[in-house]
Amino acid sequence: MHELGMARSIAAIVGEHARGRKVRGVRVAIGPRACIERQALAFCWDIVTEGTGLAGATLGFVEAEGETFTVKDYEIREDA
Amino acid sequence: MCGICGCSDPTNQVTMTDMASGRTSLLRSGLAPEVPAGLSAAEAHAFAHAHGLPHDHAHDHDHDHGHDHGHDHHHDHDHAHPHPAAAPGLHGGTVALETAILAKNDAIAARNRGWFEGRGVLALNFVSSPGAGKTALLEATIRALAGQAEIAVIEGDQMTSNDAERIRAAGAAAIQINTGAGCHLEADMVAEAARALNPAPGTLLLIENVGNLVCPAMFDLGEAMKIAVISTTEGEDKPLKYPHMFRAVKIVIINKMDLAPHVGFDEAACRANIRAVNPGAEIICLSARTGQNLQAWLDRLLQLRAAI
Repeated sequence: MHELGMARSIAAIVGEHARGRKVRGVRVAIGPRACIERQALAFCWDIVTEGTGLAGATLGFVEAEGETFTVKDYEIREDA
Repeated sequence: MCGICGCSDPTNQVTMTDMASGRTSLLRSGLAPEVPAGLSAAEAHAFAHAHGLPHDHAHDHDHDHGHDHGHDHHHDHDHAHPHPAAAPGLHGGTVALETAILAKNDAIAARNRGWFEGRGVLALNFVSSPGAGKTALLEATIRALAGQAEIAVIEGDQMTSNDAERIRAAGAAAIQINTGAGCHLEADMVAEAARALNPAPGTLLLIENVGNLVCPAMFDLGEAMKIAVISTTEGEDKPLKYPHMFRAVKIVIINKMDLAPHVGFDEAACRANIRAVNPGAEIICLSARTGQNLQAWLDRLLQLRAAI
């Protein structure tokens, strides 16, 4: 239910860090008790990044423990 | 589902109403805080102007340098970690972040917790589905403890100040937060409301979250503990359906016990379901409407306050 807000938070964190560099993909670590539905998050990710500097960046998931919910890393595109 | 809910959405408006003064203030403006991508420089400037965003004004001298040089941005980071090898042909490679997505809320919640502890205020975060009887329980608690305990209430709802009006009528100070499209309270809203309530030492600060058994589980407000309220009319299996929430609470109050015989409520099954997801949870069965076993809850509440 809160995945739209979470997707915005992830975009804000990565956007701030990448500072205009083109991002190919972002990976988030999600634990089984994080209360995050991956499909919903992926759906929202495409919506919130559309038309922004992060447009086209993929959202990947990494298994994690417990309540973990972090932006693990992001990958810069080669033409950046 | 997420297309409907606008929690944490920057374009969502959140307001706070102080029931004592009747004054409503804006906690989140609801104006788009970012200049949309794809605008020309002039359009972006006009947008920032129109929305009161910080923006630069050009001034008429140039910054020519008499030599060529690149403007490389280099961001040092001073923590040691192995750098994953970049994929062949990549200039940038992978940048490790390890940033908690809820870090901002958690930091404000930690500050709230310190503020409550420093003041000797007991903050409790009440969660339930809509209609379980959170407000009725708070009303009964306020009336029963009149003269024995100072109580202040922060009410969270998407719309209306109906609940805060009920709380004020019961005799406690109340702040209503309207989350708009949002489905839960967040730590910054509670920080603002607590500042406005200015609770004296020993106050019971009762936070009634938005009726929702999903999202409020994720958002720490700085409370001493979360307390879930379920009611006999909801059936016995709520804890199994919403395990995240029932795992996050210390006490479960089963309300509307006066209706239990009429709706065929199986108390033993409900207790077993709570234990299945949270073996350590305390369970108190009561009826806020008739006052049945309310005393057990009041005793526990005063005991918690004595421990702060």
